Amino acid sequence: MTPTDHHEPELGGDEALAAEYVLGVLPASERRDVAARIETDAAFARLVDEWEARLSPLGDFYAPVDAPAAIKQALDRRLFASAAQPVPAERASWWNSLGLWRGLAAASVVALVLVVGWNLQPPVEEAPSPRLVASLENPETDVRYLALYDEANATISLSRIDGAAAADQDFELWVIEGDEPPASLGVLADGDNLEVRPSEALRAKFAAGAVLAVSLEPKGGSPTGLPTGPVVALGDLRSI
Amino acid sequence: MTPPDISKLIVRTSLRDRAAFDLLYRQTSAKLFGVCLRVLNDRAEAEEALQEVYVKIWTKADRFAVSDLSPISWLVAVARNHAIDRIRARRMKQTGLDEAAEIADPTPGPEALAVAGDESARIHLCLDELDADRAAAVRGAYLVGESYAELAERHGVPLNTMRTWLRRSLMKLKDCLQR
Repeated sequence: MTPTDHHEPELGGDEALAAEYVLGVLPASERRDVAARIETDAAFARLVDEWEARLSPLGDFYAPVDAPAAIKQALDRRLFASAAQPVPAERASWWNSLGLWRGLAAASVVALVLVVGWNLQPPVEEAPSPRLVASLENPETDVRYLALYDEANATISLSRIDGAAAADQDFELWVIEGDEPPASLGVLADGDNLEVRPSEALRAKFAAGAVLAVSLEPKGGSPTGLPTGPVVALGDLRSI
Repeated sequence: MTPPDISKLIVRTSLRDRAAFDLLYRQTSAKLFGVCLRVLNDRAEAEEALQEVYVKIWTKADRFAVSDLSPISWLVAVARNHAIDRIRARRMKQTGLDEAAEIADPTPGPEALAVAGDESARIHLCLDELDADRAAAVRGAYLVGESYAELAERHGVPLNTMRTWLRRSLMKLKDCLQR
């Protein structure tokens, strides 16, 4: 370094302390003292804020790095675990979200039944075939599908309202009947209007009260045959 | 879907809106994970720190309203301060400053400078007015959270000298940014 010029002005007092805190050079004990003072001394907190603003363009140099999905799940458990219902430990991550959001999905489907039921009302002359609808959503995500199951042609019609999987991931559709483990209905293609034809064995699971769910999975679908990623949308099947 | 305004997401988070918090996480966690990784230089610890950072964001989102910072700068400040607190606590447990000497010079290379946006330009012009090694000390402290002791070790000067140099640099920086 160059020789020190003793007439050079230097930052002092609280202003220096605020700048040094923001820069990050203080030892742990002093950082604790400063953090405590920020809570109680508004004028000092303002000095800290001003230095954060001055130096913040340096933050551009932090390159973004995608965090593993498990971190968000752990974070949700940490912050919101008390809101979830007690669940068997071995299926905790899956059933937590299921139990939590089932009620909300059920509420929204009531409104949906009115809308979809009106639009899809068959002509009165035709014999009505059993139909089930579900609104698939989760307040934590922007993913939203409407699902209509028509028993006559054994087809689930899906209409995507919002949301998409990242390029390297896929949505997978599941049906859950009672306490049975989720059964896969396959990976959802990336489109707004889809048709899924369940196998005969899976068709037996389609009944009012069963749940349709969409999980986020690795490209190509869950490697285990059970959902491995977060449930991004789900809803109860209702008769119309 | 158009990216929602991060400010609105922080404000909605302060109102305990979980959907907004989830979206905020999706839009900003990569940046804040980058901060934690850079400061802590340890993936497992950075993952733990990232969780703690978002716990803080969930509980202290109301503080954003009284800050003058841009939303992303506010989030980065929360993450940086938390990561620096963690690394200070970690390094206190270590016996010496051996590790400090191994920290690479964190001054950004030319390609990194090219990536930085226009808003960065002014502070870099001001840093360029400082002696090169003092500018490097400011950048190093900010980006990887080096302490006075570590900076003094790396630059081979007594701790008090480093403190004086840094305080003078900060004074010059402040004057330059006000011009």
